[in-house]
Formats: sequence, structure tokens, C-alpha cells
Amino acid sequence: MITVLQLFWSFMQIGFTSFGGLSMIPLINSEMIGHGWMTATEVSDIVAIAEMTPGPLGLNCATFAGIRVAGVLGALAANLGMLSPTLTVCAAAAVFFEKFKKSRVLGDVMQAVRPVCVGLIWAVIIDLCRTNYIVSGSVEIVGVLIAALGVYLIFRWKWSVPKVICVAAVLGMIFCR
Amino acid sequence: MRSALGLYLYFFKIGWFTFGGGWSIVAQMQADFVEREKKITSEELMDIVSVGRSLPGTMIGNAAYLFGYHTCGVLGGVLSVFGIITPPLVILSIVTLFYKAFRDNVYVARALVGVRAVVAPIILSAVWKLQKTGTKLKFPMYLALLAAACVLSLIFDVSSVLVVLMGVAVGVIYHLTERKKGEEQE
Repeated sequence: MITVLQLFWSFMQIGFTSFGGLSMIPLINSEMIGHGWMTATEVSDIVAIAEMTPGPLGLNCATFAGIRVAGVLGALAANLGMLSPTLTVCAAAAVFFEKFKKSRVLGDVMQAVRPVCVGLIWAVIIDLCRTNYIVSGSVEIVGVLIAALGVYLIFRWKWSVPKVICVAAVLGMIFCR
Repeated sequence: MRSALGLYLYFFKIGWFTFGGGWSIVAQMQADFVEREKKITSEELMDIVSVGRSLPGTMIGNAAYLFGYHTCGVLGGVLSVFGIITPPLVILSIVTLFYKAFRDNVYVARALVGVRAVVAPIILSAVWKLQKTGTKLKFPMYLALLAAACVLSLIFDVSSVLVVLMGVAVGVIYHLTERKKGEEQE
């Protein structure tokens, strides 16, 4: 039981100090190794697996660590810990945001925040292109071809996201190495 | 209650396809809520994503909560979050049990290389439509903010919270100048 609470506590700290993406890895690393829950190799393995499988990195790490340390209950506790900022800070922000959405100040501020957010998404795309299509200095032809097909399916044929992902998985299984 | 449950089911359904740090879900929400069902506008989705991104915790959990709260109150928010995390929880639990086999399986690895290749186009489709959202800013200003945010994050590695806060600062200045102009005209 104490371990379950510790898992919750650890992932709550990780949740509150992480703002998405890889920035949380050092903290996950020190928490897992510090408690003796995992070795350094295992941490780098989960990060790799959490990146590959669907779901946000932080929650995937929480599930992995939780299951290994304290079974299903541990996984639930770690997930809840990771979600605690959403259920507290974000829940409060939601109330505030809905209330003041129609106000002039917030309306004007969002005018500037929206383009900034679009710019941040472009940064994510460019970063993904860098890591996914260029492997050890040379362009991944198969990856680029799958991406091109993806663009066609999404923009021309208006395919839904799940369908495109499934097709890409099958193509990857056949052609990638 | 029924629609809060509907939110759980919807997010449960799309949760299986959360790739690219959750950005694929934003694409999915854009296609379903903005284009097909017209439940929210592009601007509202953009705001949900901006706010969700700049708060602590997982971006997509925050975005799901904000959307759920917007449509169905607190219960809607909570159920949306639980909906979107159930599939990863199930998948990761199974993967964890067979983690060595999973890690070393060639076919799994190849399939995932394929999936990773298609994540960028999926996010592109979201950003493509989202950047057409209405704005009161003049176009050069809009583009300058967009480019500045992209460069700061990509090249200078500035955390996205800071970048969004800079956007907020620009927004406050915009608000003050607009109001001043308004007063002068009166």
C-alpha cells in the first residue's frame, strides 16, 4: 500500500513539473532509480516503448512503472498522480476560461496566443520530420514515401486519422527495416 | 449524464490512436468536432489547445478536460480525461507484461516506424486548418508571432510555457493599444 502511495506521489511531482514531451525524462529517471523501482537501462527502454506506443509519454511511463512496481493498482495510482495537474489546475483554469472567454481582455490576449500556438505546432512537425525521416545522416526513403502517401490520403481522400495510422503500420511492417 | 458518457466513449475510441505526443488527437478533434459536428469553432479548439499546452500535466489530458468541461461541465471534463487515457493504460499494461518480447519484435518495430512516418502529415493536417482561424491581428503581425514562436521553440529550445507567456504579453499590449485607439476615436 505504501508503494502505491509513493507511486502516486512520485508521478504527481512529475506531472506538476512537466509541461509535455521529453522534458520530464530526467525527473522520471531520478525518481525511478532513486526509489530502486527501475534500473537506468529499464528507464531508457520504457522511454523508447512509451514513445512508440499510443498515448502521452508521461502516462505511458506511469503505467509501465506502476505495473512493474505494484501491479494494476500501482498503474492506476501512477496514472492518477500524472493526471492530478489536469484534475486540479486545469479544472480551475477551465472554470475561469469559460467565464471570461467573452471578456474583451481575454479575447484580445487570445488573438496573440493563437498564432503562437500554431507556431509551436509547426515546431513539433519540423522536429518530428528531423527525427523520423533522417536516420543517422541519410534520408529514410520508405518513411518519406509513407508520409507522402499519408498527405495524399488525408488531404485528398479525407481519410480519418485511425485509418491512416493503420495503413501506415501495415506498410511499415512490409517495407521498413 | 448521457452526453458525459458519450464524451467518455468518444475519447475512448480515439484514445487508441494517440500518437505524436497527442497531436494526432488534435487533428481528430478538428475533423470531428469542428468540421463534421460543428460543436466548436476552430478558434475555440485553438484556445483549448493553447491553454492545455501551457498548463502542467499532459497536453492532451488537459485539452480533453477543457473540451469536456465546455460541453458538459465537470463530469464531462473528468469522463473525457478518463476516456482518453483508458486505451493507453490497457495497451501499456499488456506491453509491460511482454515488454522484452515487444521490444525485440522486428514486426512491431517496423509497424511503428511506419506509424511514426505518418504522424507528421497528420499533425500537418490539423495545423493547416487551424491556422486559418479568424484573427483580428494584421497578417504580417500574425506571421511574425507564428515564426517567432516556432524559432524560439525549435532552435533556441525555449520551453513552450515561456513561449505562450510571451504570446500573452503581446496580447496584453495589443489589448491596451486597441482600447486606447478606441478611446481616442470616441
